[in-house]
Amino acid sequence: MSEPTGGETAPSPAPIVNDSTTTSGTPAQPETAAPPPAPPSKDAKTTEAAAGPTKLSAAELKKQKQAEKQARRAQAKSSGPPAPQKGPSNKEGAKSQKESKQSSKDDKSKSLPMRRRNSQPSVVTLKETKKESRKESKKDSRQPGLFFGHLYNQPRQHSIVGATKEVHPAILALGLQYSSYIVCGSTARMVAMLLAFKAVIDSYQTPVGTSLARHLTSHHLSPQIDYLRSCRPLSISMGNAIRWLKDIIIKIDPSTPEAEAKRDLISEIDDFIRDRVTAADKLIIDHAVKKIENGDVILTYASSSIVEKTLVHTHKAGIKFSVIVVDSKPLFEGKQLARKLAHHGIPVKYFLVTGATHAVKQANKVFLGAHAMMSNGRLYSRVGTAIISMLAHAQSLPVIVLCESVKFTERVALDSIVGNEVAPSEEVLSEGERQELLPLKPHLPAGLLTKLGESTDKAGVEKANSSGEVLKWIEASDNLQMLQVLYDVTPAEYINMVITEYGSLPPSSVPVVHRLSMDKQETRK
Amino acid sequence: MDLRTPTTEKTSFPAFDIVSTYRTILASDPDLTMPVAAIEALVEAIANSTVNTVAETLDLLTYHTEILKSSIPNPISLSAGTDLFQRYLVTTLNRPASLNLGPEDDFRAIRNHLLSNGRLFVERAKASREKIASFGKHFIRDGATVLTNGGSRVVGALLRRAADSSTMRFKVIYVTSPEDCSDAQGGNKIVADLRAHNVPVATIPDSAVAYSLGKVDMVIVGAEGVVENGGIISRLGTYQMGLLAKSKGKPFYVVAESHKFVRLYPLSQFDLPIDQKVLDFKVAEDVKKPNAEKLTEDEGVADLNTFTTTHLRAADAVDFTPPDLISGIITESGVLTPSAVSEELIKIWF
Repeated sequence: MSEPTGGETAPSPAPIVNDSTTTSGTPAQPETAAPPPAPPSKDAKTTEAAAGPTKLSAAELKKQKQAEKQARRAQAKSSGPPAPQKGPSNKEGAKSQKESKQSSKDDKSKSLPMRRRNSQPSVVTLKETKKESRKESKKDSRQPGLFFGHLYNQPRQHSIVGATKEVHPAILALGLQYSSYIVCGSTARMVAMLLAFKAVIDSYQTPVGTSLARHLTSHHLSPQIDYLRSCRPLSISMGNAIRWLKDIIIKIDPSTPEAEAKRDLISEIDDFIRDRVTAADKLIIDHAVKKIENGDVILTYASSSIVEKTLVHTHKAGIKFSVIVVDSKPLFEGKQLARKLAHHGIPVKYFLVTGATHAVKQANKVFLGAHAMMSNGRLYSRVGTAIISMLAHAQSLPVIVLCESVKFTERVALDSIVGNEVAPSEEVLSEGERQELLPLKPHLPAGLLTKLGESTDKAGVEKANSSGEVLKWIEASDNLQMLQVLYDVTPAEYINMVITEYGSLPPSSVPVVHRLSMDKQETRK
Repeated sequence: MDLRTPTTEKTSFPAFDIVSTYRTILASDPDLTMPVAAIEALVEAIANSTVNTVAETLDLLTYHTEILKSSIPNPISLSAGTDLFQRYLVTTLNRPASLNLGPEDDFRAIRNHLLSNGRLFVERAKASREKIASFGKHFIRDGATVLTNGGSRVVGALLRRAADSSTMRFKVIYVTSPEDCSDAQGGNKIVADLRAHNVPVATIPDSAVAYSLGKVDMVIVGAEGVVENGGIISRLGTYQMGLLAKSKGKPFYVVAESHKFVRLYPLSQFDLPIDQKVLDFKVAEDVKKPNAEKLTEDEGVADLNTFTTTHLRAADAVDFTPPDLISGIITESGVLTPSAVSEELIKIWF
């Protein structure tokens, strides 16, 4: 969906300025190896050298250099298209000085896996370099995301361009569905991934001279996983499922014939889906239905498949209750839920999160879905969930979380900042909203207009009312940026009950059940 | 289930009166708690039956449990015992090896083992009260004032044990139950007993709890059942004591044997699986003509000791104290935080 927009943004202001001023084709990166093509660049080099020792330790410098080297190599490989180069413009000394400093800082944060989701692919693919370089050029002017800056390091791929050849077609398709939110929701993503892995395993052939147990995970499955991760960061449940799958692959006896091993694996995957999702959902629904009584007003936030199933099931059991769906940007998943519930004949009210205080006053129970349950009993779920649970707690409404134990993780979360996912800024403003903003163009600050200058002159004629332009305004402005995180963390004290397939628990028992379900997995094998 | 039940239909069970057995057991031993009495009654039922397969035993058990639960007005406490026993049977019967019996041994051996173990459990349950008392007495410091309520025997045992130790002087403020309440007698007995042990006791009505709280150092209450989230189900009035104690920052301890842990997760006062008539809204007309009801009500009071009423009387109502009000739960297996209760329950059930 956004690849076209990506293409549009490619000739965005910063790179264009770059193009017009670069005298040599090489990136004017302030690096020691490249011969200084022009005096200003030397300037940049010296400033970099001056800034270096004070800012970076030797190890960091080394890492930075390595990253640069890798990037160069990748660029050399792709020497064909004159992709927008990273690196500061060397037009004005002062500007380049500032920028080079900043880009070096960015480099540092890139090469150090400080707060990132673990293990980004270390091999820089062609596509990623391009993306990164584009991002760099964007970052040159400002630090994105305030304290959410680290989240912008997660790559985001919206096309199959640049995917390595090992990636299976089923995975390619799935990746696109992930990145465009067609397959959305922690459980759905996990199940879809496992089903795609079935196809991957089915078409897998062990190369001569190695065994399936040794080869499949590291050489065949990891590129698939890396690709999926590049489309959208993996969910906790997906991580759990991958860990489980790797575990059973490792445990395959090397003497097992390949066909048999593959068959076993596929049936194991089926069993996993059945045990941990299908059957678990059934049990959870059975538990949860008992908690809904005649006359209840159930409040739910966004959309969770398990909450939906529970409500529909309760309705079919003949219990009279009504539902309030609270919803919010950017995905408006609640609309779907409200529509589906209304179709079943359940009375539904639909609120946006701005009206949550009113919604909470009318409700008497809160049912929430989960992306993950952390080991400190905190709930990691769609952004906005925390507001709802806190409001409900203030009104002393019981907050009930429905969550399969496959979404439990041994990790803990203290805030919503360290681990989260950001939606690209083009997803924050909907098409309609961008259209509405277009007439404001004459009111844009003069500085911004001159910065946009070239592109607006050119593009102004042909597509004056293209909605993509609004995004360019935001991108180019120094003191405005869009931030949309997708998840937040609800502290355990705002949750009264977690219903899992093992029964109902207080949030403090999440680690116990997690340990238990892991043990069960172990003993089953 | 369906596969194995055809031969054992409900009507085929011998006419063993589980309910009266339960009541006689409960009446015969004043020290017995409801869950233990229920387990004892179920052991009795198995002993009196002619079952000779595992499936039959379980069916018999389910059948009697259902009868028992439906004929007792407040089966929460009781169900802790029956559930525990059932769980124990299922795990031991499905793994005969754990009893050091081979699969070739006949069922009689298993059954004998069960019966003897069931009795052992009852013995242990009785002993646990003393153990709790010995754990719990350390919570009472010299010179402390303890606020307590209800006729809980385990609280009584704890206070008595503390009074017995000569080094400790403490006072007790006792919240008395209304006269028509079934545990009023138990309460009076404990008060008399404590006074006999030279412990100064002040008795106050429910309404004076907040007033007295300034003089109180700690609150100790008993419980009918400890639920999965670590809250307790107890005599009406416990919840407000918990709320008040929390608001004044007084520690609130619960003493309960671990066989009172119930697999139940109430979300609020009105989420309990029993039908309580505490809130009875009336207008003037309703008040005028309660004669018909009055009669049955009186009958209920008259038959109090035999528990023939299936409706819970308002005076015997219970409430639910949520876990955030509880500082600690003193059991025979140690002092637990409320959140540890669910861990204990998970251990039993998985």
